[in-house]
Amino acid sequence: MNKVLLSKKIGFYIVLVIAWQIISLSNIWPDNIFPSPYEVGEDLVYMASDGSLFYGIGTTIMRLIVGLAMAIAGGIFLGIIMARIETVNQTIGSLVLGLQSIPSIAWVPLAILWFGLTDAGIIFVTAIGAVFAVTINTYTGIKNIDPHYIEAARNMGAKGTQLISNVLIPAAFPYMISGFKQGWAFAWRGVIGAELLFSFLGLGFLLNVGRQLNEVSQVIAIMLIIMLIGMAVDGFIFKKIEDKVMSRWGLR
Amino acid sequence: MAKLETKDIVKYFKHESHNLKALGGVDLKVEDGEFVCLVGPSGCGKSTFLRIIAGLETPDEGQVIFDGKPVTNTGPERIMVFQEGALFPWLKVRDNVEFGLKMAGIPKEERAQISKRYLDMMQLTKFAESFTYQLSTGMKQRVAIARALVMDPDVLLMDEPFAALDAQTRDLLLVEMQLIWEKTKKTILFVTHNVAEAAVLGTKVAVFSNRPSRIKKQIKIDFKRPRLSEDENLLGLQQEILSELRPEVKKS
Repeated sequence: MNKVLLSKKIGFYIVLVIAWQIISLSNIWPDNIFPSPYEVGEDLVYMASDGSLFYGIGTTIMRLIVGLAMAIAGGIFLGIIMARIETVNQTIGSLVLGLQSIPSIAWVPLAILWFGLTDAGIIFVTAIGAVFAVTINTYTGIKNIDPHYIEAARNMGAKGTQLISNVLIPAAFPYMISGFKQGWAFAWRGVIGAELLFSFLGLGFLLNVGRQLNEVSQVIAIMLIIMLIGMAVDGFIFKKIEDKVMSRWGLR
Repeated sequence: MAKLETKDIVKYFKHESHNLKALGGVDLKVEDGEFVCLVGPSGCGKSTFLRIIAGLETPDEGQVIFDGKPVTNTGPERIMVFQEGALFPWLKVRDNVEFGLKMAGIPKEERAQISKRYLDMMQLTKFAESFTYQLSTGMKQRVAIARALVMDPDVLLMDEPFAALDAQTRDLLLVEMQLIWEKTKKTILFVTHNVAEAAVLGTKVAVFSNRPSRIKKQIKIDFKRPRLSEDENLLGLQQEILSELRPEVKKS
């Protein structure tokens, strides 16, 4: 990032925080409705010092990782068999498109009935929200492989699972990365949403606690954390992988 | 006994409304160690013919016979070099070259020994750790040839491998190709639309007729090597090939 762009961004956030502080000082709304950035900061420090913030982040991230890993594994598997077996595509494929249109939060009642108020229930919601995005992108990626790659590999003796792991998956990888990225976005929304409704530990739970205690500053503080984690994952992890894959695959 | 023989190969190009008879009974005998160039008007199906020999397509009628036995599938004794190389962008040059060996389950150290020989032969040693997007078109074709030679096939099937190269690079590779053939004693089938290329490379040139195509004429070439594309001795031969080819191109 060049310096001008960086200073523009930093400048914007400084102005934003100052404006926020001025509005809250003007007492248009009472403090318990519209807290100042200072109070939000105070809450963050407080939650950090008693450890509840990090415990919340850790719990949510753990659920996210487990759910997303299951979604990626399942999505790759489903995507591959849909792409390679036409009957599977014609049957399960249409169901996948239908299930993809269900918002992950709509799975929560079912998850509570099936799993109770447990980690497993939240992980289920996280995974099911993400799995179909991975499936569809994997399917598209495999369908778009240059047929010469597959022919060359077959000619050199690759078949079955060898062909899948050595050619199909790497060749489809640029698409699969977009699938992982979409899957992560769905999983992130899913895990926070599920935690809100399950109200069982994690960042979503802390949001709920803030609401129950009428602590607007805690609610805003947690929302900031959710946003920062989201930006970090998008901007660092996925951008790095995407850049590397794109240049190596000669797509840029 | 011929190393490779095709008997009455017929292939239709299937379109929605009608089927086009592309190959109308192609008979060809190739002796061990021959370098056969296949030329013909564009769209006559010479590439399809090569793909049938490779086992990547099945003929509608007729047979491919290798070492006296009919073959229907791909096999490591018949390896194809594609026009665009079809190199795997996710692998380094070395791993591309070793791909077939890896599929055959050959251990890493042994693979490295074998690939070293062919990387040296194709002057790729410096580029062994590069990715394919870092290579020029000519270098990519060298990798594609090395990747095929590593398989130690009896027959090398080359589908217009030099079509996308600039003139200088092509001249260089034409000389190298002759040296490789002399060194490895491979049987080579080489599809090209370039008459000069055929005259430089082949021990025999097979001219395809227009659709439905058959082999119209076979011309033996026994000039000394290495031949250069500007060789005056080859001009008469080029004219002979052209005089066979020209009426077919007009008909197409």
